[in-house]
Amino acid sequence: MVDFGFYIICGAAVVLLATQAVSNPTAFVQITVFGLADGAMYALVALGYTMVYGIIELINFAHGDVFTLGGYISAAILGFFAINEGSFTAVNLIAIVLVFPVVMLIMGGINITIERVAYRPLRNAPRLAPLITAIGMSFVLEGIMFLWHGPATVHFPDILPHGPQFQTTIGGVFVTFKDGFVMVTAVVLVTLLAIFINRTKLGKAMRATAQDRDAAQLMGININRTIAATFFIGALLAGAGGMIWGLYFNNLFYNLGFRTGLVAFTSAVFGGIGNIPGAAIGGVLIGLIAAYSDSYIGSKWTEVVIFGILIGVLVLRPTGLLGMRVPEK
Amino acid sequence: MALLELRDVNAFYGRIQALRKVNLEVDKGEVVALIGSNGAGKTTTLRTISGLMHPAGGSIHFDGRDITQTGPSKIVELGISQSPEGRRLFPRMTVVDNLFMGAYTRNDKPGITADMDRVFTLFPRLKERRTQIAGTLSGGEQQMLAMGRAMMARPKVLMLDEPSLGLAPILIETIFSIVREINAQGVPVLLVEQNASKALEVAHRAYVLETGSIVKTGTGKELLASEDVQKAYLGI
Repeated sequence: MVDFGFYIICGAAVVLLATQAVSNPTAFVQITVFGLADGAMYALVALGYTMVYGIIELINFAHGDVFTLGGYISAAILGFFAINEGSFTAVNLIAIVLVFPVVMLIMGGINITIERVAYRPLRNAPRLAPLITAIGMSFVLEGIMFLWHGPATVHFPDILPHGPQFQTTIGGVFVTFKDGFVMVTAVVLVTLLAIFINRTKLGKAMRATAQDRDAAQLMGININRTIAATFFIGALLAGAGGMIWGLYFNNLFYNLGFRTGLVAFTSAVFGGIGNIPGAAIGGVLIGLIAAYSDSYIGSKWTEVVIFGILIGVLVLRPTGLLGMRVPEK
Repeated sequence: MALLELRDVNAFYGRIQALRKVNLEVDKGEVVALIGSNGAGKTTTLRTISGLMHPAGGSIHFDGRDITQTGPSKIVELGISQSPEGRRLFPRMTVVDNLFMGAYTRNDKPGITADMDRVFTLFPRLKERRTQIAGTLSGGEQQMLAMGRAMMARPKVLMLDEPSLGLAPILIETIFSIVREINAQGVPVLLVEQNASKALEVAHRAYVLETGSIVKTGTGKELLASEDVQKAYLGI
């Protein structure tokens, strides 16, 4: 019965968008492109939220800051290369290809440390305790970035191919190389994640632990190692997300992760918290919804729309779009 | 020394004592039944053996090693696996993936494949449903999968917790005949059951657990014939 309200609201939104799409198709497609690029980045961050929630039922509020720190660290490492912001050079290409895996691994290591220090000691404590240390970790990471570069916006080198020769207009829709880069990278990373989760022994152990931790232990699965691996992989994606964000928008600031993290968390809830494909889809949908809201409602209303969705989903359909009814234990 | 030996094991949940000086042995080739009513401590006994909880007193030895304080993953590696109460399958994974999880501590690919064939021979139904999601299996099939999953560890002792719970009588027959078959292949079985008459029929030896203490022990036949056991557990 509650689902009914959910369908009505979704239906109304689709009808409104369809009217816009029909009255001005070019603008609609244009907004969709922007939305997909943003959504791809939200998806990368949302996956980390949902994986951690799936395995230890913790909303890791520090995850958004892991994402931002990934951007900060990649900017710092890129500083060691003789990169050229004016035009795309071979050095730029090499720098990007090298820094991606490096920053991902660094963030993975940092996130494992966070888990070890702030969450593992509270594994058997009441649920509220790790939630509070998560918020604490979020402040710690933001504090580190604040000390590092201060409160102002930090420039991220603009080293992806850009400028007139790397953009085009297809049927009135303006598309840049960067849009394509963001989407392709995100799709590649999510595909790799899907293969890892579904095909490898460790990936299966992670799913097993998420589905029944005691039973997983009885199989001989080392729970601590599996949970650490989950944080590691979530941070690989968040670190990549932070670098992609920097490459796309060319600026970062110390508490970027607060808002981005909440939006990504909303995406994870929208898709069904704990559900991995759900987080990817939820991220893309929230990116689209934000873009439509920016253009059709007004950007000052976008946060209201997004967090309205969070409240709406929690009230009307707590399991999210793809959430499955989990049997009561 | 027996293959698996519990000596004076005490266990607590908070301040409530769940096991009181439990002594229990399982030796090579045996089916040992542990019977008793709800809350007697049967599942707790298995939890202490598999390392999910540790005894507050006493010791547990397996294969000549002290495993009293050993963690669950190490215990599976050493050779004790369990089909837990309520089956506890991974509900959103396929039958085959559930079986693979049972072999988690092993790395011998050919051995794992061979054991999976062995499980499929034992439970042809699982072979038919190998790609099905475990949560969608029937109760009987889920029980078979839980037992098959425990077999995948190639255990030296197999522990089965309430394998007949909630199953139709015809399936209960099947499950117990499979227990016999597994044992005939040389795997010792520690069988926890509320269905005492069935358990005592297949067991070589049995223990009766009452509020955390072993109150009676003997061969399956002796206990089946015992008046106390008949009154309390067999409803005769």
